Amino acid sequence: MSEVDPCDWCEEAIQPYLDRDLNETDVEKVKQHLAACSWCEKRFKFESGLRRLVRQAVVEPMDPALKAKLAALRLEL
Amino acid sequence: MQETYARAFRSWESFTPGTNLRAWLLRILTNLNIDRGRRAQRTPDQQPLEEGDYFLYNRLEATSGETDEERILERLSQDHVAEALAAVPHDFRDVLVLVDIGEFSYAEAAQILDIPIGTVMSRLHRGRRILKQQLAELAVEAG
Repeated sequence: MSEVDPCDWCEEAIQPYLDRDLNETDVEKVKQHLAACSWCEKRFKFESGLRRLVRQAVVEPMDPALKAKLAALRLEL
Repeated sequence: MQETYARAFRSWESFTPGTNLRAWLLRILTNLNIDRGRRAQRTPDQQPLEEGDYFLYNRLEATSGETDEERILERLSQDHVAEALAAVPHDFRDVLVLVDIGEFSYAEAAQILDIPIGTVMSRLHRGRRILKQQLAELAVEAG
């Protein structure tokens, strides 16, 4: 069995981590690696910043009626 | 926020017809589709893509000599991101919009687009690579 390089593993895991699609074990593994590896941590911060930029780049003003409807749905949770 | 969208999505049936959430997402998708003409030719789908998720960071770091991630991120403007996104072929971009912007889960995106979840994941993966490739070109061109 060959050992996977932890930084290569982390690189693969970052997107599903940001998508909240990793299981708890892998989430922990990502967090531990990022805490210990500043090289990956920098890249992680960049990736999450990029997500933010993408969200901001296409912000469409939401219809006020829809906003109210979503707010009402949230109260029910 | 994710809960809100997910909840809204689950209430899809009761919300329709003429559901505004759907209209809103479609408007985002359509606006991007209108935009894309200009750069579309530059992104043939067969173009080989850079390997690895870190390549954009690595490229920007190498071409700027900057090592602070915030400063590196500042090399990407809102215009670059909008332009790059508009150049992603629409099948890939629809998945990007739903997951990265709408914060839908892979399963929800699969249901909305009526495609298998594996297809959502592969389009997402490829769509993000195309987006980064575009961003690398735009940021390096801009200096």
